[in-house]
Amino acid sequence: MLEFKCVINDELGIHARPAGQLAKEAKNFGETTISVTKGDKTVKASQLMKLMGLGVKKGDEVTVSAEGGDEAAAIDAMKAFFKNNFAAEI
Amino acid sequence: MALDYRKCAEEIFSHLGGKENVVSAAHCATRLRLVIADNSKMDMKALEDVEGVKGVFSNAGQLQLIIGTGTVNKVYDEFLAITGLTAASKEEVKAAAAAQQPLPKRMVKALGDVFVPILPAIVASGLMMGLVEALGKIPGLGFADTDWYGFLDMVANTAFAYLPVIVAVSAARVFGGNIFLGAVVGLLMIHSALTNGWNAADGYDVWYLFGHIKITDSYTLGQINQLGYQGHVIPVVISVWFMCQWEKWLHKHVPEMIDLFVTPLCTVFVTALLTFMVIGPIFSGLETIVLNLATVIVKNPIGAMVMGAVYPATVVMGLHHMYNVIEAGMLSSAGLNTWMPIASAANFAQFGACLAVGLKAVNNKTKVIAIPSSASAALGITEPAIFGVNMRFFKPFVCGMVGGAVGAIFGAITGLGATAYGVTGIPGYLTINNPVVYTILLAVSGGIAFVGTWFVWSEEAPAPKAAPSDIPAQPSKPQEPVITCEAGTVLAPVPGKVIPHTEIPDPTFAAGVLGSGVGVWPEEGIVRAPYDGTISSVAETQHAVGITGPGDMEVLIHIGVDTVAMNGDGFQALVKEGDEVKAGQPLVKFDRAKIKAANHPDVVVTLLTNSDDYSSVSFPGVVNA
Repeated sequence: MLEFKCVINDELGIHARPAGQLAKEAKNFGETTISVTKGDKTVKASQLMKLMGLGVKKGDEVTVSAEGGDEAAAIDAMKAFFKNNFAAEI
Repeated sequence: MALDYRKCAEEIFSHLGGKENVVSAAHCATRLRLVIADNSKMDMKALEDVEGVKGVFSNAGQLQLIIGTGTVNKVYDEFLAITGLTAASKEEVKAAAAAQQPLPKRMVKALGDVFVPILPAIVASGLMMGLVEALGKIPGLGFADTDWYGFLDMVANTAFAYLPVIVAVSAARVFGGNIFLGAVVGLLMIHSALTNGWNAADGYDVWYLFGHIKITDSYTLGQINQLGYQGHVIPVVISVWFMCQWEKWLHKHVPEMIDLFVTPLCTVFVTALLTFMVIGPIFSGLETIVLNLATVIVKNPIGAMVMGAVYPATVVMGLHHMYNVIEAGMLSSAGLNTWMPIASAANFAQFGACLAVGLKAVNNKTKVIAIPSSASAALGITEPAIFGVNMRFFKPFVCGMVGGAVGAIFGAITGLGATAYGVTGIPGYLTINNPVVYTILLAVSGGIAFVGTWFVWSEEAPAPKAAPSDIPAQPSKPQEPVITCEAGTVLAPVPGKVIPHTEIPDPTFAAGVLGSGVGVWPEEGIVRAPYDGTISSVAETQHAVGITGPGDMEVLIHIGVDTVAMNGDGFQALVKEGDEVKAGQPLVKFDRAKIKAANHPDVVVTLLTNSDDYSSVSFPGVVNA
């Protein structure tokens, strides 16, 4: 399993729109389980509703992990996604 | 990719804390519904991660795992095979969930259910009795010798003299027995052949059904005290509860042909024996213990305080009948009844607590019960207040105990006493040795209970279903379907012009990144549930909700574009994650003017986020520009 921690710097956090994009991105790695953890709550990145339910806001630290399949490629894609969409500091 | 049902069931089971921890299992269209004995032994978080489980939440003692249509039944079959449980109906699971509530809570609830219907009877009697007794004690008036007194006293005490009958009928109804058999049990317990319970102190006869085999000095095997249960509540409720269980069992097992005469006969006979041989002796034994203990401990102020606290509890248990003995003893030995201030403090504290409930309650039903009950308690008749109000809400009862304790120790220290016995509360002024100090005692005990209740007790919030009154129950137009697929139909969350998602003024929504669907230009400011389902998420800024519905459809309702920037201002979510909702139920109230002022389009984005999972998705409501 590969993972990275980051702080979300986007003003609006992970709200519906970027969450949808993230879910779509995560679905590209069908064989790999990508999850996002905030505090003690972990959800699959491919589940849009759950992702929104995390309520990630600016300044929150989240952990993104990828397991199985092509996890290396998945984690790289996630790093890029978080940097571009959430101005994340990794 | 097909789900491995066996593996899914095994994984679920592995996080439940062992086979003993699973009480029962059932499933509905999309969910596995489990009753878990000890929630702390299972791992909710791990359950959520099990592949195939789309959501986990615990509701009303039930653990619900969302698995999905067509899948849940297969996982359920595997689950039964693994655990060895037998299939339970949904009703059984619900019943088991109700049984999950702690026993004392269920007992208090049962007592409340029995008592509330009979309150009009005892409140009427309580008030009348308090007034008549008070008038009778006024020196020089001579009211107690008039025929009016005799008549009114009889009318007033009827409900109390025959309380066990009223309680028995109500209890039989609550516990599902025959109410006429219940009446028989109640009548039996106060039969005129028995010595009246209030006169127990004068002695009573005993029947020895099995000869004179002494178990202890004071108890012989099979002994039946010829003593009535006047004023008793708990023993009556227990007896009738037993009767109902026994009667139901008999109905099930006695052949129908002889059921009509065998069942009632056996029901009454066995209940009567049990009542007089077991329940009776236990309570009269307890009564004796309480009496002996009370006589000793009230001799010092700390003991008086303890007594002031537990006094209402002894009333609840029906162990207060012999207190007159203590009072009479005090009068003959010391000439002063120092028991009365303790009882007065305890009773007046129940008055204070009950009054606080009556004044604070918003629910009119509670108010109309609590106010007259408190008036009756002020006159020294506390049953309506205790059983009808304070016990049911429990916290007021405890506040009353605290007030009673403080009042009692105050009375003991100041040497307060009465010159007669039989009255407490406001009528107590007629017999008290120091009216000024007595006033302080009443004020202290009633005041503490009142203030305590005022701050500690609050009415349980009304069911969240009752939407705030400014929200109409129905939308201005009937909800039209806007999305259909093989799994079901999504109704418009709000009335208005429907456009395809490609025309939503936002590139992400328009591109279908979040799934396909529609936008609705709203004509009113309330978003309603598009189908019967479960709220799967509510955005912190309250501008978007996710809702899972039939066939696992997941719909995201996002109010306006870029409205996340409004940070919740102008949005009011009426539901929370995990709530079950019905189609048409209001979900979010939003302020169209505020969205407009913030320069955002107010289009209500309605997307089937998992539209990729369905083959035939169409949008019937779309108006082409």
